[in-house]
Amino acid sequence: MGIHSVTNAAIHLQNAARARIGLTSIPNTKYNLRLALAMHRAGLLASVTRGGPKPPPPEAILSGDDGEEVTSANVATRRIWLGLKYWNNEPVFKTVQPVSKPKRLVTATLDDLQKITRGFKAGMVRGLTLGETLFLSTDRGVLEAREAVARKVGGLLLCRVS
Amino acid sequence: MPGCEAKTSDGDNDDDNTWHDNNSTLSNSGSSLHRLSARRRPRFANVRASDMGLMDEKQIEEFTKEKFPKYRPEELAHLGKIYSPEQMAALEAGEAAIDPRDLTVQGRLRADPYRMPYIDDFAETQPVIDKRARNKAPPDPHARFMNLDEFAQDLIDWSDKLPQGEVTGSLKRLEDFVPEAYRARPETQWPTEVREDARKKFQRYMEGEVTKQQKALNAKGSDALSDIGSGPTDADILQYILERSVMTDANRQTDSSLAPALPNKVPGVAGLYKTVIDPEDQGKDDLGVYQDVKRRTGMTVREILNLRDKQLLVRDVSNQTRLGKVRSCSVIHVVGNGDGWLGYGEAKATETQLAFRKARINALLNLRPIRRYENRTIYGSITAKVSATIVKMEARPPGFGLRVPYRIFEMCRAAGIHDLSASMPRARNPMNSIKAAYWALCNQPDPEEMAMARGKKLVDARKVYYGGAVY
Repeated sequence: MGIHSVTNAAIHLQNAARARIGLTSIPNTKYNLRLALAMHRAGLLASVTRGGPKPPPPEAILSGDDGEEVTSANVATRRIWLGLKYWNNEPVFKTVQPVSKPKRLVTATLDDLQKITRGFKAGMVRGLTLGETLFLSTDRGVLEAREAVARKVGGLLLCRVS
Repeated sequence: MPGCEAKTSDGDNDDDNTWHDNNSTLSNSGSSLHRLSARRRPRFANVRASDMGLMDEKQIEEFTKEKFPKYRPEELAHLGKIYSPEQMAALEAGEAAIDPRDLTVQGRLRADPYRMPYIDDFAETQPVIDKRARNKAPPDPHARFMNLDEFAQDLIDWSDKLPQGEVTGSLKRLEDFVPEAYRARPETQWPTEVREDARKKFQRYMEGEVTKQQKALNAKGSDALSDIGSGPTDADILQYILERSVMTDANRQTDSSLAPALPNKVPGVAGLYKTVIDPEDQGKDDLGVYQDVKRRTGMTVREILNLRDKQLLVRDVSNQTRLGKVRSCSVIHVVGNGDGWLGYGEAKATETQLAFRKARINALLNLRPIRRYENRTIYGSITAKVSATIVKMEARPPGFGLRVPYRIFEMCRAAGIHDLSASMPRARNPMNSIKAAYWALCNQPDPEEMAMARGKKLVDARKVYYGGAVY
């Protein structure tokens, strides 16, 4: 499965945050949705809502569902609407750096992840510093590095966000 | 020593003998030249000096006596009045050193291109060449500014010396043409007919006076103008304003251009510019340098003086104007209490010491808290960039020390940071590195803010394990 779409989505979020945008959308794919939910769990996003080409109404954002069923007829127009967070006039989702790129995929074993989450270098991957999060794709879905360590899995490193 | 003296005198005698020998040899050779063959004899025979009587000792003596006489006693007495005894001794030594006969025989008026442009006996000063003569007495050291009475008296003295003309009071006034009864009253209270009558008479009188003076002028000619003119001329008044002394030195003229100093206590100003010394300062700031800082920061002078301060950078800068380069000194100074407070001050002045002081005071006013993790290192890692200079700082474990460039080391020491690593991977410009480091120290990430922003609970593991006894 290619990772360019998730990388693009992550970079789009960084651009949107720098433009101080409150609600933005990324293409509706399962991979994007899993990454978005992982970021939501990490507290980087305010909301994740599946909707159409138009922004969903506020109540739909609160519930996370605009009520419209995804069918084969409308699936191509579905998008994932993401609420961005700001704190003290600064975006919470400030910078993102892709780790794997379509040309070179980077994976990390559990041992590597344990080092990285403690702030030490593992292979080519720098350790996490204060406030940094690392998202990786595992067989348990897209997880944050610390979640992966808790579940004792390694995987494909997607991007680091701080 | 006598032996030495004897030797020297012997040597002198030897020299004298040699000179005489040479002389005789020269005269001999001269005579041999005279006896040349007829073939070598010049066609136009030169006249020998001895034949003209120029080498006649008698004539030389006469000429010398006439042209270069010795000082007469009265001349010496007169010189003694002008010159000090030391100068007189030097003058006499100079006179004794030059034989007047030498002046006659050897003295020549120079005709070469490098001669002095004038022949002078230095009797007169030439303003461009010579220094100004300073013959006047020194200023009166006890002179003071005149008070009002002295000033009035001085003015009267001055005016008395001026040629006296028609005194203003001698002309009749308008009041002189009214009857006795009205003379005491002011003009406005006079009856109309009396006033008009008096004015007519006064005008006739004035016209008469003018024609009288005109006639006198014509009779005496224009030379008499000063006699008739009343009081000082404009030139006199200008001279009074510019040259009359306002001191009690009887208008003494001196060579000194120094103006007399103001008295110690100028009335009206005395006591106004006294610096108020605060007894709380315990005599540590009598010059009042830190009074403003004290007022604005609330620190005591003792606290201010106990701060750690370091001058990090001194640069010589110049402003190019059409008048040339105006040089000044630019200084960056940091101040810290060694316990989490750091101030950065930048100042520029033409005087180096003033720039130092300004920079220090700016740093004192800029004091701000620096976040420290466990009071020893920074939070996380920070990167700051100013121009091409990037400063990367990373928190380090206890006991790591300050492995940082020396300017950042001084800042850390002032701020009370003990464990830190920093690197400057790109440009290492001194000024930009200081600015970037200061920005980095002031803009550290705050984990608690981050936790709040992400809606997470934050626990510092170091404070949880080992009962928090980690430092």
